[in-house]
Amino acid sequence: MSEVRTLIVDDSSVMRKIVERALRQAGLDPLTVFEAGSGSEGIDVLKTRSVDLILSDINMPSMDGLEFLRQIRAQNLAPGVPVVMITTESSEEHVRQAILAGAQGYIRKPFTAEQVKERVLPLVHAA
Amino acid sequence: MLLNGVRKAAIARSRKIGTNGMELAMDVSLRESVQLVSDPRNLDASVHEVFQLMLGVDCRREVADEQQGQEWVTAVVGFGGLLSGACVFRTGGQAARKIAEKMTGMEFDDVDDTVKDAVGEICNMLAGAWKGKVPNLSANCGLSVPAVITGHDYNLHVQAPEFQLRHTYRFDQTGFVVTIVCDGIQ
Repeated sequence: MSEVRTLIVDDSSVMRKIVERALRQAGLDPLTVFEAGSGSEGIDVLKTRSVDLILSDINMPSMDGLEFLRQIRAQNLAPGVPVVMITTESSEEHVRQAILAGAQGYIRKPFTAEQVKERVLPLVHAA
Repeated sequence: MLLNGVRKAAIARSRKIGTNGMELAMDVSLRESVQLVSDPRNLDASVHEVFQLMLGVDCRREVADEQQGQEWVTAVVGFGGLLSGACVFRTGGQAARKIAEKMTGMEFDDVDDTVKDAVGEICNMLAGAWKGKVPNLSANCGLSVPAVITGHDYNLHVQAPEFQLRHTYRFDQTGFVVTIVCDGIQ
């Protein structure tokens, strides 16, 4: 597999590390990770970096994950790059909102590395 | 004060779910299902799920045995929407470091920002898992981002809650208390 450049957006640095570890356990290797602590930081990263995959929390202060997703689609940042939301919110309404905003996948916290593998790898291979 | 702050944040977040979400909230009531919402087994199942998946440990519930005088680390995540209140996760400083070590694979000498972040995320996942166990609550109740408090000899007081669940758990030699406080239900 060629290098997978991944943007992880979460206000928790601990969760960013856990998501990165899960991606490595899922077999994404070699993996280059860019981290952002908010949606606006994520947009700044996307303005200067090219990525192959975006994973974002929803529940974040200042700019939440759904607004981040709407912004990157509206600004045509990272076109065609799959976005997976990782969040504690699990209702059908939240999933629907995420899909409407342009997400291709949804993972509920807490999660296993196996769940990350099942939902992320097909998107990476398809992209 | 802190509970008011996290509750307001959670209410604001529940409104941001979207127009459809708010319309649904007006039609749905939890009043008929208070017993289901306050079922203590939901909290036990949520704790088991979060700690098994994120830390790889099994927690057992036990009788409260809190040591006085030690440093406490408390995370609070507010609920807003059909149910208002908070999920409160409280543990000692040493236990907080142990939890953070299990989550990150790193070692910690004190309760630094990463340890507080880890405890806040545990509380966030517990709050999400708990509300996800109740139909209607999951989609119609927002969560605030976690707030974390550290210090010695403090207690959390809520006047006249609708209901309160307060359970003590332990894994290895690490104990913690999870409280669900509901002070309003529609």
